[in-house]
Amino acid sequence: MARQAYPLPRDLHPAAWWAWALGLAVAASRTTNPWLLLTIVAVAGYVVVARRSDAPWALSFRLYLWLGALIVITRVVFRIVFGGAEGSTVLFTLPEIPLPEVAAGIRLLGAVSAESVLAGLYDGLRLATMVVCLGAANALANPKRLLRSMPSALYEVGAAVVVALSFFPQLSESLVRVRRARRLRGDVGKGVRAPRSLVIPVLEDALDRSLQLAASMDSRGYGRAGGLDRRTRATTGTLLVAGLVGMCVGVYATLDTLTPRYLAAPMLVVGLVLAGTGFVIAGRRVQRTRYRPDHWHAAEVAVAACGLAVASVLVAVGEGASAATLVPAVVSATWPPLTWAPLLGVLIGTLPAWVSPPPRPTHVSADADRMPAGAIA
Amino acid sequence: MNVRLRRLCGALAVAALVFLPVLAAASVSSIDDDQGTPGYCTDGSGVTVVVDASALDGPVIVRCAPDGDAGSGLEALKDAGFQIEGTQRFGEGFICRIENQPSATQRLELDGDDGYRESCLDTPPTAASWSYWHADDGGSWEYSQYGASTATVTPGGFEGWAFSLNQPTGSPASPGVAPVRPDVGPPEDRGSDTGPAGGGAGSGGGTGGGASSGGRAGNDDARDLPPPRPRASAGPTSAPTSAPTSAPTADVTVTGGEDQPDLDAASVSDSNPAAPIAAGAAVIVLGVLGAVAARRRRVQRSA
Repeated sequence: MARQAYPLPRDLHPAAWWAWALGLAVAASRTTNPWLLLTIVAVAGYVVVARRSDAPWALSFRLYLWLGALIVITRVVFRIVFGGAEGSTVLFTLPEIPLPEVAAGIRLLGAVSAESVLAGLYDGLRLATMVVCLGAANALANPKRLLRSMPSALYEVGAAVVVALSFFPQLSESLVRVRRARRLRGDVGKGVRAPRSLVIPVLEDALDRSLQLAASMDSRGYGRAGGLDRRTRATTGTLLVAGLVGMCVGVYATLDTLTPRYLAAPMLVVGLVLAGTGFVIAGRRVQRTRYRPDHWHAAEVAVAACGLAVASVLVAVGEGASAATLVPAVVSATWPPLTWAPLLGVLIGTLPAWVSPPPRPTHVSADADRMPAGAIA
Repeated sequence: MNVRLRRLCGALAVAALVFLPVLAAASVSSIDDDQGTPGYCTDGSGVTVVVDASALDGPVIVRCAPDGDAGSGLEALKDAGFQIEGTQRFGEGFICRIENQPSATQRLELDGDDGYRESCLDTPPTAASWSYWHADDGGSWEYSQYGASTATVTPGGFEGWAFSLNQPTGSPASPGVAPVRPDVGPPEDRGSDTGPAGGGAGSGGGTGGGASSGGRAGNDDARDLPPPRPRASAGPTSAPTSAPTSAPTADVTVTGGEDQPDLDAASVSDSNPAAPIAAGAAVIVLGVLGAVAARRRRVQRSA
């Protein structure tokens, strides 16, 4: 191998990948400009191809791409079915289904205009891009190491979070395994019955492995209250959950411009304070040591900073003079306009493909993968 | 050839096919001169559409949709020549901008949120949105009980759109122009009212059926419009005979909206034509790089 000099192959801290991917997702939530959204998808896809490991969860990115395509198609089809006659460029006319007076305001089929299709395309592309960004994080970050690097106070909720986060990657891995097994038996899997014979083993496999993960986490003390009495447990639990809910509301209100402002920063601060108090109280009593903790090196800082930079450039452009180009009006079917600043900002997101260390080679990580799902702590 | 690369090329081809018809479409001007006529309708068959953006320091535009049987309020708004924009999420089911008001860069002094800016991604807040009104000729404005795409217009009547900013919930501002068609007599009488006898005759009046023949008279159109009547009533419930104590409309300047900037032209003017090409190139370059990297990985693994 030629590129062995520097950086040495190692797995990046999973939180760094999540920070990068969430930065891209925030950027995508700020725009419906298809140029920017397609660039974000390309950026995420390239970094995944360049830096993913051969671990099972790293195979799930393709599924997220399909999911994104499904979202876009659904949005466009909905625009066509329910009143697609906005704008003047009529592409084709379908027979309109007349509806009774009660359903006034709903129109089925009829003329389909380019503007409606484009509006559905942009809208769907925005959601699809955000889904693809999360898929990139799932493909790049090791969910088991993410759980390990959680603060010990979060162990009680952490198990549930990680089971939820790793369900989709496990589903995709099950899909790959079941398909391979069927192909080895000579079952090509064509026809109407193919999906049914695929779905049941996949779901069963994913459920089995989730239970196995839960059992192995339980045996290692996750979700255990230890020697805490009921009252302390209730206090910390309430503080943590209230804090997390407050942070969720605060983050949502900060990102969504329609929500009243008093829900944004104040809720975020209140949530942080509550969660912090819960952390301190819970962390004082939970005593666990960590074997080989993940470190936060320069590469991690650089990767997380790239995500932050992408998000902040897009937010800044959205507040600036050329905000209209981020949400192009589909008044008439024209090429959506674009300026340089947001495009260059999004392209910052490709830097992790070079500044992060390459993943560990296959033969090393393959051994780790074959360990039971409980090899987390 | 690599499978992934081939798939990418296929996806690009599909994208090109989707976007190609887009290229062919010509850009429209803001107020569409082919649609509707400036000023009030002159006979009982058209629908007069009033768009009041004075809450945004914008113009009050009065135009006529000549065909009163056009159907919905939304169609009348379009037929009168207004350029509208719905929200990204719901399309034209929710009117977000009319004639680029409020624009994407305009700061609105919203109560509790100074510096709010309308991106039209989602439904606008109640405190800064367009309200939709109906009125019969000589009647009073009534807040519409239906959405613009559902409400049917009355020939000879009025359709009103007023931007309410910081109005209390449930009582948005009605348009600041009374829904009264000016008495327009036969064309020869009207010449004495307005200054320029010959040239101006075409714009404000004309015959309603004459389509757009008089609509392009030029900059003088705004001056030629008959002056608006004072507002007859403040709200939908009060009697039309109430004295116009509040908001006399003598100082309201009504235009036909000819000098409104075009929405597409406005958004294109601050964009760079090379940037979309660069974006497309970046997508292709990243796709090819990704395909090469994936191929190299596959070769390494099988070796």
